[in-house]
Amino acid sequence: MTTNDTFHEDLLGAWEETYKKGQLTLWIFLSLKEGPKYVTQLQESIALFSKGTIRAEEQSLYRTLRKFYHLKMVDFSSGKGHKGPDRKYYHLTPLGQSLLQSFVERNILLFFEEPLKDLLLS
Amino acid sequence: MMKIVTRNLITYATLLLAYTLLFRFGLSSLLTAEKWIWVKVIAVIYGAMIFVTAWMTGRRDGKENFLFDAGFRWNLTTGIVWGLVSEGWFLLGLHSNYESIRMIHIPLLIWSGFLVLHFSLFLILKRRTIGGVHKTDIFE
Repeated sequence: MTTNDTFHEDLLGAWEETYKKGQLTLWIFLSLKEGPKYVTQLQESIALFSKGTIRAEEQSLYRTLRKFYHLKMVDFSSGKGHKGPDRKYYHLTPLGQSLLQSFVERNILLFFEEPLKDLLLS
Repeated sequence: MMKIVTRNLITYATLLLAYTLLFRFGLSSLLTAEKWIWVKVIAVIYGAMIFVTAWMTGRRDGKENFLFDAGFRWNLTTGIVWGLVSEGWFLLGLHSNYESIRMIHIPLLIWSGFLVLHFSLFLILKRRTIGGVHKTDIFE
């Protein structure tokens, strides 16, 4: 790898690090929109959807979900685990769904409209 | 439902109670023995131990419970534990002849003033919270 390549990778890494901050909520909400999940499933789903670019620690997910539950954005129901005890299956509440929809409309969909779409793909 | 009295706060209160009992015992003993320098030394150690313990338990509580209180619960707990132990020490007659009850009441009065100020600050900062969670801590 040349010096220029290293410089490019360093800058890209720094940009991505900043860009990814604050994204966990979106990935959690999108994964839960797909269907109720327990924490490990949520972790796997986030890694799959983001093609491995977002990796959430289990503790971090628990903490975030507890906070979202407190703020009534997610709820959970108990379901059977594979072999062990019952698991908490998290799902979006109507408030969570409406928040996700508003957020996507305001901040994501604009990337699918002209001229941004063309600029991104060019 | 978030708890106001958390495991970390109980740990802090318990350790503070132990420190304060030890401090009171040491203070009264050293004053009676007229070892003035050691009185200063244990006071500094006592203050440093409170600071470190409050910082560690408070930090852990912030990570586990995300309830925003601007540190007010820790400050209030410190005042209550210190006040109760100190008042009890005098009521039981365990103090030295160099100590007077005014040495407890005056700091408690000043502390109460700071608690009122701290609570006011908390009420102002609370405007930046939603459901008791600071806005910047909700979405990560």
